[in-house]
Amino acid sequence: MRRRLLQLIGMAAVVVVGLVLLKVNVTPLAGQTPAATSKGEGTEAKAGPAPKTPWGEPDLQGIWTNNYETPLQRPAKYANKEFFTEEERAELDRQRAEIIGKDGRRERGSEQDVGGAYNAAIFLTHKHMGRRTSLVVDPPDGKIPPFTPEASKRRAEMRAFQLALLQPTEVCKNKMPGCEGGTYGPPSPKRAETPPSYLATSVAGGGSINRSDNPEDRTLGERCMAAILPDFGGITGFFPQIVQSPGTVSIFYDTGQGQGWQRVIPITSRPHLPSHVRQWWGDSRGRWEGNTLVVDVTNFTAKTDYQGSRENLHLTERWTRVDANTIEYVVTMEDSTTWTRPWTVKQEFHRQGDKANRVYKEPRCHEGNYGMPALLVGARIEERAFAQGRGPNPATMCTAGCGGFAGGFADEGEESNPLAQ
Amino acid sequence: MRQWSTGSTIALAVAAAAVSAVITVSMTRNPVQASPGARTADGKPDFSGIWQALNEANWDLQAHEARSGAVMQQGVYPFAFTKVPAAPVVALGAAGGVPGSVGVVDGDGQIPYNPDAAKIKAENGEHWIDRDPELKCYLPGIPRAMYMPYPFQIVQSTNKVHMAFAFTSTARTIHLDEVEGPPDLTFMGHSVGKWEGDTLVVDVTEFNGKNWFDRAGNFHSDALHLTERFTPITHDAIRYEVTVEDPKTFTKPWKISMPLYRRLEPNAQLLEYRCIEFVEEFLYGNLRKQQLVKRWEGDTMIVDITRKVPEGDKLYEWYRR
Repeated sequence: MRRRLLQLIGMAAVVVVGLVLLKVNVTPLAGQTPAATSKGEGTEAKAGPAPKTPWGEPDLQGIWTNNYETPLQRPAKYANKEFFTEEERAELDRQRAEIIGKDGRRERGSEQDVGGAYNAAIFLTHKHMGRRTSLVVDPPDGKIPPFTPEASKRRAEMRAFQLALLQPTEVCKNKMPGCEGGTYGPPSPKRAETPPSYLATSVAGGGSINRSDNPEDRTLGERCMAAILPDFGGITGFFPQIVQSPGTVSIFYDTGQGQGWQRVIPITSRPHLPSHVRQWWGDSRGRWEGNTLVVDVTNFTAKTDYQGSRENLHLTERWTRVDANTIEYVVTMEDSTTWTRPWTVKQEFHRQGDKANRVYKEPRCHEGNYGMPALLVGARIEERAFAQGRGPNPATMCTAGCGGFAGGFADEGEESNPLAQ
Repeated sequence: MRQWSTGSTIALAVAAAAVSAVITVSMTRNPVQASPGARTADGKPDFSGIWQALNEANWDLQAHEARSGAVMQQGVYPFAFTKVPAAPVVALGAAGGVPGSVGVVDGDGQIPYNPDAAKIKAENGEHWIDRDPELKCYLPGIPRAMYMPYPFQIVQSTNKVHMAFAFTSTARTIHLDEVEGPPDLTFMGHSVGKWEGDTLVVDVTEFNGKNWFDRAGNFHSDALHLTERFTPITHDAIRYEVTVEDPKTFTKPWKISMPLYRRLEPNAQLLEYRCIEFVEEFLYGNLRKQQLVKRWEGDTMIVDITRKVPEGDKLYEWYRR
């Protein structure tokens, strides 16, 4: 029980620093008419022409955010449908508000209850649905292209490792969604092995492993290093703050609940860094094409992972201020070792007031990360108790990838995300 | 020995003369407008670019002689000035020492601590490894971020002067326009600036008191109030001055000043120093299932690192319960 408490505190503490942001950021859904949905996403009258800086470059400056929630990939039930109708948006907002408003707790004290505690307590609001049925605009089906055989193999190896660690837990015993593809069985010798590739998952859902031997076993989110490129804000939202000087564009990403980071894009024809110099956020080179800032990003480290792509990820971003209050952000992802073709996401950012200054470079996750030692200490206590015959085999307990909740929705049934039902 | 030191004094004097000559020339030649490119579209001095302090302030703001190690222990002699490097740095040899400095504190070079604060400062110095937030990769605070041994980039716009720091990919924005303050006290402060002639004057408040000034244990409270002054010396150097006020810690205001230098490499750019990852072993290494730090064996050097869990450290106290 003490271990559970520690781990619960662990999960909560990792992200608690971001709550202030979350609360001001998202538009409360419950009980509100989604008046905001009649604006934005290209439907409203243009708010004046896109400005230029005093030195004549396109002006992208200000604090921005995305006001709407849009799934990255088009849900199956909206196949062949690029836009929701206004009625569909209103209905989805209503359905989601109803689910989020319920007490979604599982059996008190169960692993699913503890594992879902953060989600159940935190994701009490969501942004309104946007017009698009997917952020992916190319391929036209709104889906990320198929993985290459090489990438499929990488992912299958990681999934097999995850499942081996879940095998002796209740999740597999009870055939819960977290165990999909696996079976219930005795503890696997894989539990003592190094994962097949660097664990680079941001969230406690897909990709995390059920083990706390080392900080490196935990998600990048729990390690306070979840911020990656590209960043589409996700359900918690984000605030990019752009400041320019001649030849330079600075973007501070207030993102990931206290995991913000600073990016400086030089406008230059200089070549990228030497190919052996790799960075978490790659190496950005910008140029102006008319009113559009085009940024080429390469040199990613193999420690980062965007949708299965690692060191070979190549981004081409296009930032265009289409009017005074809107930036259109279009980014193409290319990695021939991961996907069978490039794919493109389109998103709109909406201008926030400068005076309200709603971008905070802190508090920051790391300075208050009581969660990480809690997770590790909890695991050590559990091992000691087992060795002394006072507790269950730690291998049979689930602390990550156990399923339950994500973003306020259950992973199956009536309380799951209506988009996925 | 005497000859050597005379020679070096002469060399320094010559170098100093050369520097002042350059400054004089540039100022005489262009009394109003500095060298080309040094003014923004609205006529202000242009600080945009990559900068770095070139001094020992991050080791100790005050004048100090070089030391054999960043952490030291009693040597064969019983004197403070004969200490030898201690375990945490001994394996680093000459790279583990501390360079000397004439200091950056103006006036008599002293930091006017009140008696209680002076005691804390002395203890901080003795417990550097346990207490310095830099070692934990915490947000470095202002003014420390300005003179850490990492470059930072100024992106100067009309209403905002943004500073991006290589160290832990953090940033500060100096607001020249009217903005609301932060929702809580901060590590990096809330910076509001204005131009006084060619000097950018920045008022920095809203500190949470968790930062240090340097690795010597110089510290402040949440009552810290800074007045920074950025003045162009040449196109490639800024005079950086900070008046420090903190009535909970100091008996009177005091001031540091130093030049900041432009990184002139044609391919200069900020690279990541994402140290959160680098300090996981430092912060959580003892909580691994299997420890990575062991006594080495065979031909390999054995370094026993003695690092007591610090008394009163909230993080450690909490997880030791």
